[in-house]
Amino acid sequence: MSAHFRNTMTWLHTWMGLALGFVLMVCFFFGALSVFDREIDRWAIPQTRFEPQPLPSFDRLLLPVLQRVEPDQHDYAANMPRLHDPTKGPMTPRLELPVDEYWMYTTHRDPVLAMGVGFLVPLPKDPDAHNHIHARTTVDPRSGAVVPDDALKIGSHWFYPMHYSLNWRWRDIGIWIVGLAGFTMLVSLVSGVIMHRRIFREFFTFRPDKHVKRSALDLHNLTGVVALPFHFFFAFTGLLIFASYFYFPVSHTLLEPLHRQHEVLEAQAAGLPHKRSGIPAPLASVDAMVAEAKRRWAARDMAGEVGFLKIHHVGDANSFVSIYRAGSDRVALVGEGIHFKAATGEVLREDPPRSAVSEINEFLTGLHLQHFEHWLLRWLYVLGGLLGCVCIATGFIFFVEKRKAVHAKAGGQGSRVVDSLAVTTVTGMVIAAVGMLVVNRVLPADMAGKGDWEKLAFWGIWVLAMLHAFVRSGPLARGGINPAWREQCWALAMLCFAAVVLNALTTGDHLLKTVFSDPYWPVAGVDLSLLATAGIAVWAARKLALRERGAVKTIPSEVTTRAAEAANV
Amino acid sequence: MSEALWLAAAAVLSMHGMGWLALAMDAHWGQVMHSPAENFLRTRGVLRALGAVTLSLSFLACLMADRPSIAALVWVMLLTASALAVALLLARWPKVLRVLCPAT
Amino acid sequence: MARQRAAFAHPTRRLLILIPGSYAFTWGFIALGVTGLVSLGVDFHEAETAMMLLAFLVFPSLFLWAFASPRPGRAMALLFGGAAFMVSAAWAIQRGLLV
Repeated sequence: MSAHFRNTMTWLHTWMGLALGFVLMVCFFFGALSVFDREIDRWAIPQTRFEPQPLPSFDRLLLPVLQRVEPDQHDYAANMPRLHDPTKGPMTPRLELPVDEYWMYTTHRDPVLAMGVGFLVPLPKDPDAHNHIHARTTVDPRSGAVVPDDALKIGSHWFYPMHYSLNWRWRDIGIWIVGLAGFTMLVSLVSGVIMHRRIFREFFTFRPDKHVKRSALDLHNLTGVVALPFHFFFAFTGLLIFASYFYFPVSHTLLEPLHRQHEVLEAQAAGLPHKRSGIPAPLASVDAMVAEAKRRWAARDMAGEVGFLKIHHVGDANSFVSIYRAGSDRVALVGEGIHFKAATGEVLREDPPRSAVSEINEFLTGLHLQHFEHWLLRWLYVLGGLLGCVCIATGFIFFVEKRKAVHAKAGGQGSRVVDSLAVTTVTGMVIAAVGMLVVNRVLPADMAGKGDWEKLAFWGIWVLAMLHAFVRSGPLARGGINPAWREQCWALAMLCFAAVVLNALTTGDHLLKTVFSDPYWPVAGVDLSLLATAGIAVWAARKLALRERGAVKTIPSEVTTRAAEAANV
Repeated sequence: MSEALWLAAAAVLSMHGMGWLALAMDAHWGQVMHSPAENFLRTRGVLRALGAVTLSLSFLACLMADRPSIAALVWVMLLTASALAVALLLARWPKVLRVLCPAT
Repeated sequence: MARQRAAFAHPTRRLLILIPGSYAFTWGFIALGVTGLVSLGVDFHEAETAMMLLAFLVFPSLFLWAFASPRPGRAMALLFGGAAFMVSAAWAIQRGLLV
């Protein structure tokens, strides 16, 4: 392999890794938290702290709730003007929009049900397009009571979308930035392997007692290589999941005509009506359809629960009900769909087994989206995500350590800026996440707009952490260590401890109860993880204090020649 | 309950496999055994083969516990966790790994 | 310092051009792949799924090849030229498939 090729790969790995590494920290950290997003929801919304329930009666409990749902105000304001054709008549008022579809989604980890309604735009610009105004609701399946919207699901509606969109919704720009970061991850993995000359010999190598630059690089290589399959597959499958809709929307642009033509053909072939007929018709018993679907799955030796249910063309003679199995014992998501004629309950179609290409796709997207029920694998995924964070963080540390002495002598601020940004996206990010949980416990449950205040607190705390990191970064200009690392570790430990105590005080679900006397593992798991985080933060803070005190002695040895720098790679 | 036992077996096998593969390497043999690696070429060859076989057995244990699609993922992630654990043991408490080759 | 800056600017410029270039080529590759497969009788969604599986293997590979290429100008021409050709071909095939 030529030196030029290796140098090119080194340049790419260093600079793309640095630029997008800050985004990747967010993806890996909040991705790791997302493995247990619904458990975090239980912690944040105490009224949902009960066991997952079997699906209640759709006819008696869920249909009445769906019939009372109103179109979402934000969706109406944003999309009605775009979809409605003013030449055909006045804009239909929000509360008079006709219902077109109902859907319902549940998992084995969710005590509550997520449900939604799609409302039709009666006078659309493009009648063939998907003209819907949406609404969502969350329901307690034991009673049909609706969980208020103000209660932000911190796990599944903040941490989870954080990892794929940075919660920056303006024109989906966050999703695009994460896409670029995912691309960078793939490029960095390949270039990293090419750069790492002794990849097999140093597979188990970690020398923590050497100087920081060597041990940081060892740890970077170790966490990158032992989890290489995880890093590659999560970056690849993450990009794959959004590929057809966001990153390469070829069938919604260049090939849209062919796509539409095919959808009509597909609907005809499947016997599932693509459009409404205009003739009203009643809805037969959905509970009976669910029972029939479960009977058919059991007959095919794949007994299971309902994962997703959707009613198309509600109230119309062409209406049909699609029922999909929850894939909790396998990697593929929901599958084995069975479709019923809504007015009579007869089976219209049983989805055939998937083709090889579809199976591969379902396996790959399923391994990322993790709907399976397997606690060991979930915790191993958290380990993988955290290893990714360590890999990126040690990358930053190596970058700074390699250059700070040289920059200090030349009066440059480069490593100071990178180090401050590293503090922000390592300790600062975790502080923001835990701080949000603390604020969640401090604010009263029935406060209007509580979710908005929690989001504001998250961003505000993160910005404060960033300011702190920059303000304290003076020592970098002299080739030293930024004390913000240690100080934020202490702050994090205190916040974690506060969160656990506040949970006990405000809900009474303290650890002795949730682990021993009345076990409830979702909340116990979050509390124990917070305590473990506090422990690690304290250990790190004390180690950093020792290093800071010893730092003055090691500076002269940090000034290395170019050759020595190159040899370290 | 037997799923948990098979998974525990898979984890133990994975740790052993990674440990043996590590011991078969020059630097780590010296770290753990405090004896020159060149003198034990045959032993290390045996350990390398043993490591590979044990990792394969670990995969079989995963297949006994779950469906193949899940078993494949569990196995790969156990390899990651085991390799990490062995690396950290080598860095901090290398003597612990001496149990993997007690006779020498 | 000036020589360092010139050397630094060059890879950055290459990066800023070759990422869009590889993206465009991949776009064309997907479009041509889908229309080509559909014209051979493959179901549209199957074709789309297959091309999406390949997309993020092709895109970074292409970029790495182009970035490391000793002749970046030629790589750029191949990427953008190839993209234009494949998109036009896909468009033509689609016209033929529409009823």
